[in-house]
Amino acid sequence: MKELLVAGEAERKEAPRILPVPPVPRHGAPPGGWLERYAQVVDPGTLRALEALARRLHGHRIVMVNTTKTGGGVAEILHRLVVILNELGVPTTWEVMEGDEAFFNVTKKIHNALHGHTEPLTAEDREIYAERTRSEAKRLALDGDLILIHDPQPAGLVSLRRKPGQRWVWRCHIDLSSRDPDHWEFLRPSVAQYDASIFSAIEFVPTLPIPTYLVPPSIDPFSAKNREMDPDEVAAILDRLGLSRRGPWVTQISRFDRIKDPLGVIEAFRMVRGRRRARLLLAGGGASDDPEGAEVLAEVRERAGKVKDVTVLELPPGSDEEINALQRMSTVVMQKSLREGFALTVSEALWKRRAVVASAVGGIPLQILHERTGLLARSIEGAAFQTVTG
Amino acid sequence: MTKPFLFSTVAHLEYPAGRLATGLATLREGIARVPPESLFFHITRVMVRYPRARDLPPNDFANWTAVALQEPELAERLAFAGAQPLTELEDHRAALLRILDDALARKSPEAVGPAAAFHFISARSVKAPLPFTAEHPEEVVHLWPHVDAAAAFYHLVEARVLGPVSDSLTVWLRERGATRLAESAEGLTMGGMPLYRLHREIGARWRRSLIGTRLLERTEKSDAARRQEARDVVARFAGRLRKPREDAGA
Repeated sequence: MKELLVAGEAERKEAPRILPVPPVPRHGAPPGGWLERYAQVVDPGTLRALEALARRLHGHRIVMVNTTKTGGGVAEILHRLVVILNELGVPTTWEVMEGDEAFFNVTKKIHNALHGHTEPLTAEDREIYAERTRSEAKRLALDGDLILIHDPQPAGLVSLRRKPGQRWVWRCHIDLSSRDPDHWEFLRPSVAQYDASIFSAIEFVPTLPIPTYLVPPSIDPFSAKNREMDPDEVAAILDRLGLSRRGPWVTQISRFDRIKDPLGVIEAFRMVRGRRRARLLLAGGGASDDPEGAEVLAEVRERAGKVKDVTVLELPPGSDEEINALQRMSTVVMQKSLREGFALTVSEALWKRRAVVASAVGGIPLQILHERTGLLARSIEGAAFQTVTG
Repeated sequence: MTKPFLFSTVAHLEYPAGRLATGLATLREGIARVPPESLFFHITRVMVRYPRARDLPPNDFANWTAVALQEPELAERLAFAGAQPLTELEDHRAALLRILDDALARKSPEAVGPAAAFHFISARSVKAPLPFTAEHPEEVVHLWPHVDAAAAFYHLVEARVLGPVSDSLTVWLRERGATRLAESAEGLTMGGMPLYRLHREIGARWRRSLIGTRLLERTEKSDAARRQEARDVVARFAGRLRKPREDAGA
């Protein structure tokens, strides 16, 4: 990692003095390249800076590894990050570790426990995790110079596939501040074998014997989920989804996951509904590595049926245009999570200039300056109060 | 002969400094002991973290004291103590400690829980050369709009405060005799403003400062050359007026 990241004087002396910047190789980019589109939202100096930093990585290959191509913030970040890195001349590939239901039940249990919802990890669970890690270690193409492993599910690969000269970095997207000690002790020996770790916020960082860096995640303003959309387009999508154009709409768009507290959102809305006319939309899908989604969705539907003006919408993977329209039609975007890694939905709503009411957990306070860019809440009543009065 | 100025951009790698504070006493302890890079992160890098803000938010110590400890008066004093980006870090440290000592002498410290603790962070800069250099101070003025905000911060503030001084743009300008350019950049930087605004205002002030030099150059040119330049200017202006109409037609 140090070789890749630490500045060297030799390069400084070789700085060329010619304008414009020499073009970097383009790999599979659309005409004009993805990077050129970003000139609409950042100044040219920033793009030049990105190219200068990328030149430091020329000659190195990166492999990203996670456990799903669809659903959730990590897959969303990787979809664009891989393209941009390639366009910057840093060859980058994306490997997806596959698993069966048993494996994802175990990793979901670990995920929940690392967020503070403890369930014992049995010997059988440990064996399922180890066995899948062994079989995937044989299958995955992990032949880059830098292997970037995302989240706990594929963390065990490091002990089986590390080659001399490679650098392995663990990128943790989740909030470990309330982690269950037993689950963390299961994971920690693997994490300790990495060359470095990356967390989204300092509050999430456990004690580790390896260097730790802090990098908040990001959203893509040109993705289907965030691109500009005119009102007619939004209205057409609402019609197609069978949603009323008449608001005001309060929405929470998230995976159907207990840590996103969809039942708490319904309860907060019930309080709001007592004072103001409004509609609530709970929309989301599942991630392929989240086996609990269907169960939570059933609970949400059952509870929603008891409160007036609540709509529950299950979105299939790839519903980015729909999510974009739903956020744009919202008067208030809510993110009432009990735990969060970062909550990209908050940045998405802020990008679309929506009013945001969100829990003060995980990476959300990094995005919302209370009463300046949005409203933070710490309880169901708080979320209701901020929605009504904010 | 002074060497040309080599512009570099930087990426800031942030990492935990291994210390946290839950009250005034532990905040004081942390400020007294953390390395200069961590002080620099919490005081001066606010410019980098909120580059497009309308007004520069207070430094992290002041912000935490206001939000977590609910001590608005102390927060104001800490904010003022850290408001000048080019101040020596040890002077900043001493000023902050004086204020905290004074506060601790007057009241018994209250602590907050771990969830609201202040975590000290440090950062180091990964430098990447930009593909242009300046041989003369005037070239700096022309190149300045092409320099990204992170590079501007590095050359104006970071290299001056944390080093290496060889990367400080104002030091180089002085060595090349461009004292006025250096002074105007330092004056604006000391004012403490968000990075994009600082970058823009320095560029504007530098361009204005070269008007006299340019006029002087013109007077030394022949009449024919001046007439040709004037025609070029009018042609460019006409081109700009015409462009929107063509765009509308397309």
